[in-house]
Amino acid sequence: MTEYLVRRLLQSVLVLFLITLVAFGLIHAAPGGPTQIMLSPGLSPEALKVQAHNLGLDQPLHIQYIRWLGDMLKGDLGYTFKNNLPVGDILWPTVGNTLVLMAVAWLLSLIIAIPWGIYNSTSAYGISDQVASFVSYVGFAMPAFWFGILLQELFALKLNLLPLSDMWTMGEEGNIGNLILHLLMPVTVLSLGFLASYVKYSRSSMLEVLDQDYIRTARAKGVPERKVVFRHALRNALIPIITVLGLDLPILVGGATLTERVFNWPGMGRLFIEMALAREYSVLMAITIVTAVMVIIGNLVADILYAIVDPRVQLGRKGGRAA
Amino acid sequence: MAKKRKRYWLSLFMVLSLFGALLAGCGGSKTESGEGNNKPQNTNQQTDNNKQGEVENTGDTGTPKDGGTFTFSSPSDIVSINPIFINDTPSADTELLIFAKVYDLDRAGNLVVEPWSLAESLPEISEDGKTYTVKLKEAATWNDGKPVSADDLIFTINTISNPEVGAPGISQYDKVDKIEKVDEKTVKIHMKEVYAPFGYALNFSLVPAHVLKDVPPTELKKSKYGVDPAQTVTNGPWKWTEWKQKQYLTFEADPSYWGEVKPHIGKVIYKIYADQNTEVQALLKGDVDTVTSIPLTQLDAVKKQKGITISNKPGASYEFIGFNFDKNNFKDKFIPFESQKARQAIAHALNRQGMVDNVLKGTAILMNAPFLPGSWADPGDKAVNYAYDIEAAKKLLAEDGWVAGKDGILEKDGHRFSFELQYNTGNSRREQVTAIAQQSLKEVGIELIPKAIDFSAWAEQNLTPGKFEAILLGWSLTNPDPDQESIFSSNYFPEAGQNMGWYKNEKLDQLWVDGYSTVDQNKRKEVYAEAAQELSTDLPYVFLYQYGTPQGLGPRVKYAEEDAPEPTRAHGYFFHIIKWWVE
Repeated sequence: MTEYLVRRLLQSVLVLFLITLVAFGLIHAAPGGPTQIMLSPGLSPEALKVQAHNLGLDQPLHIQYIRWLGDMLKGDLGYTFKNNLPVGDILWPTVGNTLVLMAVAWLLSLIIAIPWGIYNSTSAYGISDQVASFVSYVGFAMPAFWFGILLQELFALKLNLLPLSDMWTMGEEGNIGNLILHLLMPVTVLSLGFLASYVKYSRSSMLEVLDQDYIRTARAKGVPERKVVFRHALRNALIPIITVLGLDLPILVGGATLTERVFNWPGMGRLFIEMALAREYSVLMAITIVTAVMVIIGNLVADILYAIVDPRVQLGRKGGRAA
Repeated sequence: MAKKRKRYWLSLFMVLSLFGALLAGCGGSKTESGEGNNKPQNTNQQTDNNKQGEVENTGDTGTPKDGGTFTFSSPSDIVSINPIFINDTPSADTELLIFAKVYDLDRAGNLVVEPWSLAESLPEISEDGKTYTVKLKEAATWNDGKPVSADDLIFTINTISNPEVGAPGISQYDKVDKIEKVDEKTVKIHMKEVYAPFGYALNFSLVPAHVLKDVPPTELKKSKYGVDPAQTVTNGPWKWTEWKQKQYLTFEADPSYWGEVKPHIGKVIYKIYADQNTEVQALLKGDVDTVTSIPLTQLDAVKKQKGITISNKPGASYEFIGFNFDKNNFKDKFIPFESQKARQAIAHALNRQGMVDNVLKGTAILMNAPFLPGSWADPGDKAVNYAYDIEAAKKLLAEDGWVAGKDGILEKDGHRFSFELQYNTGNSRREQVTAIAQQSLKEVGIELIPKAIDFSAWAEQNLTPGKFEAILLGWSLTNPDPDQESIFSSNYFPEAGQNMGWYKNEKLDQLWVDGYSTVDQNKRKEVYAEAAQELSTDLPYVFLYQYGTPQGLGPRVKYAEEDAPEPTRAHGYFFHIIKWWVE
């Protein structure tokens, strides 16, 4: 296991490096640049060159990359072009804010979806199953921001029960009760999206397993139904679900840009769009790295979980030796 | 340097476009956008809209109250509130709260001395028009107790003029020869030549020389001045207390403010909303007290709400279709609209009133020349008005030698009358206007090919180098002076100036110079009337309309009628905010 982890981590570093290389190239290849954005009537071409020079933008791309990489390795994410603010100061709070929102929504949807899906598999096409199907259709079909706007209209404007937007009421920062009030609507929107797919996955995954011969054998042996479902079927059914969860993990920081916008949540999704339009290269690179790290972690966590739920998977061993 | 003058603020316009781009991200919410497709109407009356647009309810005439919080919403965050570097709307909005200007502008755009201006009296201009004497108020101080002095003024202008600093306002002072300190509160600014628009360059904020003078010019941009509230020494009615990036800024009435007129509002919050729909809902809910750009699709919904005042007089911007006159940008080096008649035909064929009614919901006024209606340089009837008239357009095209080809598109000498019109992605107004133009032109046999490009890429690859066939763009006339040499004169071809369409007209080239070479306003008025006539006849642009963004004000905001918002001034939604109060 340890050996496997070390190997995976080393691979990850390589992958991360390649990602930064490609991202750096792509971001710089996008037409327009920070000095273009500063393009103001007052700046003559000469003055723009002076500015580009001050910002190091007149250097060849590979030199810029090496410089950036060097700073990165020292933990320096760089500064914004426009106002020379440390990138970390802008980025980290938004990562935290997004994580709060997404983690609550994600965990909530897992807590509801997986048991519900399991239950529905044991009584397929029952009322509960039909309701779940309906909820899934709605969740899949309704654009998140649209649902968000509907909720806002109803709960914030008409009924005036909930705050319209933001993470805290100004001056109430740190008050958990206040945070929960602000979380209610965006979490509802996001959970519905997650729920829609997780409930379906867990149900169909369970149904597939419940059809297997060994389940029939277990039942034939007289194993109680509870035990059949939870001990024999569930462990196997969880494998595809874990794959999906692992793939979804990066979303926890990548955020739901539209939901963040509608609820004015100060998160990373919003930041990314804003910074992309402003061609703030260093912020974009930092966001890319954070997201890439999450993807890598997501896959790693999924792999480890496989080993836990499925005894057939033995990490880091060549198939034959383990047998 | 002197040649590289580009005075017109692409920046504000740019902010607006970015804004449009952001909007596109979630445009689905209220999709009225489809209705922009025109129902052609033959409407020639162009002044009808003048009346609407007044602020609908005038403010309360009750007694002003001190204290209270005023919340202002914005679609984006500030960059820096260091006056030397300000180049975007949010930073300039907040600058007005914490920095006094040397001179202010009145409703009509005249340079004036207000009780809150730093100057004591209007600048004395010498007889030859080349020396401006500026005297600052004795009482004016920075909020660290130091006086606002002649040194600050000299330092500010010299710093902005230094190319190493990278100040966006650099061109405003390029006609300045030298600045002489007369005494602690007085300076004499010597100009290289007579340059009438210079007066408006004195409508500016100062930075404290005693704080910044030891920072090397190239390091100024990295200074914490303007980004850290604690290190930003100011001289305006409010002081900057907090900046929570991407969320909000707060400002509090400054107890050490020197002015005789003190602000009523105790605290101003500048709150950032990523989404325009949410911003408007926040106004409806009462979370914010004013929204400066209500999307046109939501205007009706806001109007229905009781207690919300809407100010939708057009602002200081105009939109146009600009032609390119450089052959190299065209297939086979053939410019279909090379002749004046062809351009006039396009002007006649465009249903501009239809654009104003359907796309801008009546919040715009037709324009025929680049001088704001109602300003002192408004040429009135001197500018040619091209009524929507398909027959007139067809006639002009026939006179120009165009005949219908097989596919209905006009042809001449084996060339089709077809051109590409570029605009920026995500700007739904321009999208719709382009659609209307496309349809209108098709009726007279002209093919318009719309092309949307991301703003930043557009600026770099097309606008700055002048490489396109035609563009749909807007200019913000943040400076009320009518001089627009750097847009239309052949001395300002790319990349030195903003004559991006390579337009050359010797008569106009001279008129611009005549216009700024005298400080006599009556003489200037005549010059610009002639320029308007020439421009509207020769049509380097088809001028479309003067437009703005409707501002909504919540029920708590109060002001006397004379202090109401003034959309035609830059940041006019804050006009006289020092005298506003909240209930």
